[in-house]
Amino acid sequence: MSVLSLDGVTVSRGAGPVIRDVSLEVVSGTITALVGPNGAGKTSLLEAISGVIDASSGTISLDGEPLGKLSRVRRAHRGIVHIEQGRAVFPSLTVVENVRLASGNAARANEAIDMFPELEKRRDSPTGLLSGGEQQMVVLARAFAAQPTFLLIDEMSLGLAPVVFTRLLPMVQRFAEDGVGVLLVEQFTNLALSVARQALVFSNGRVTFQGEASVLQQSPEVLHTAYLGGSPAH
Amino acid sequence: MLQGALSGLAAGGVYAIIAVCLTLMSRLVRVVNFAQAATGMFGSYVAVWMVSKAGIPIGLATVVGILIGGLLSGLIGWIIATWLSEADTSTRSAVTVGPLLLLISLSFILFGNKPQPFQPLLAGPAFTVSGVVISQVTVVIVVLAIVVAAASKLVLSRTSVGTKLRALSERPTTAELIGIPAKPLGVAVWAITGIISTIVIVIVAPSQSNDAIALSMLIVPGAAAALLGAFRRLDLAVLGGLVLGVIQGTVAQIDQVSFVRYFLPFLFIVGLLLWNQRKAVWDAAR
Repeated sequence: MSVLSLDGVTVSRGAGPVIRDVSLEVVSGTITALVGPNGAGKTSLLEAISGVIDASSGTISLDGEPLGKLSRVRRAHRGIVHIEQGRAVFPSLTVVENVRLASGNAARANEAIDMFPELEKRRDSPTGLLSGGEQQMVVLARAFAAQPTFLLIDEMSLGLAPVVFTRLLPMVQRFAEDGVGVLLVEQFTNLALSVARQALVFSNGRVTFQGEASVLQQSPEVLHTAYLGGSPAH
Repeated sequence: MLQGALSGLAAGGVYAIIAVCLTLMSRLVRVVNFAQAATGMFGSYVAVWMVSKAGIPIGLATVVGILIGGLLSGLIGWIIATWLSEADTSTRSAVTVGPLLLLISLSFILFGNKPQPFQPLLAGPAFTVSGVVISQVTVVIVVLAIVVAAASKLVLSRTSVGTKLRALSERPTTAELIGIPAKPLGVAVWAITGIISTIVIVIVAPSQSNDAIALSMLIVPGAAAALLGAFRRLDLAVLGGLVLGVIQGTVAQIDQVSFVRYFLPFLFIVGLLLWNQRKAVWDAAR
């Protein structure tokens, strides 16, 4: 079992900290939802974990070993795969090329594409020509081909209709069933909470709720209080 | 007229190869490398020095000079990849003016400011067309331009390294997040284009003005040729170089306007920029 842990992590951008003193543990095979209003610091947290930006203080560790100044490339090789906000495809590359970038194993890449019948028909199309939902399928297939230990997903639903996102969500669950630890930042809060075991609510760079996702699902008032920056009695 | 046009092919081939290198650099590492020809100049000067002062055989000296050109280019690439990896294309490009001036100054200090006694690697005619002699240098340079462009296109479209380079050029951060090593690949692109530039300069330097400034300023017609392909298309970069060389050769044959040949690359650049902006200019005028 692998553990990704954050201990007192603070991340600064420009004028000041955007995340303050965040501690959490993500265990392989589970989904942790990060929810909260825009600008709360969720994206910055994922970027600090994957090495896009540096944490200004605190420790990020993988299986007890601090990642320190490890580059984003090395972190990817250690199994931390980050799906960025928006459409993280390489538009001029075909579906097959996009997916094979993540894995030298052609069989694994083919298996990843085969999981989405929509992609099967468009294997050799440039991904820039696909619909938004299909592009996110390519991104998920590429993440699957990479065989991650931990998967950081940032607003996968951005620009997608809820019905399209609902189609993608089982794939996120599939990652967890395969033993991947998933950190899911999502605007569709209820959908994210429906698949997550653990949840954190962010507000103004601070964690205002941390606990079982089911608690937030069953008690909307707790979620609202946390969104507004209060610390619900929990 | 035909003689002038065909004699311009050798220069055109040089422009084409430098244009291909500039296009690759622009596409793959987001830089317009103003030091592209200067690294080739410096590497070829080292080769000349090794032959004329150290008595090293010309073949060995040429290989060492070419490797030094590649190393120098790789070093500049490493510096930019280390400290300017997140900078925009304009900033990264502007930084390469520094190595351009540095290499010209360093060549003056180390080798003097006179043209160097290059020994020709290729000499003599290859064949004759309508009474006009085509030199071996012309044939080799033109063929080299086409081969370099075709090989680059093949590598980019058919190999896994090429796919990674294309991914890096489109979304560098995303590429790194899936484990593609941007820095080594980028430095390799710098080094390889440095090697290509040095090879072409070693071949043509004996048959043209070969002082440090003249060789380093081959970047201007090279950039003009690359502009035809918008620093994206390798085929148009080659075509641009060859056409520019042929026009220069033709103009040089006409006494009344022969002086214009020195300004042709600049006219080419201005013309292409105006052509590319024609829609915006037309819209503004309306």
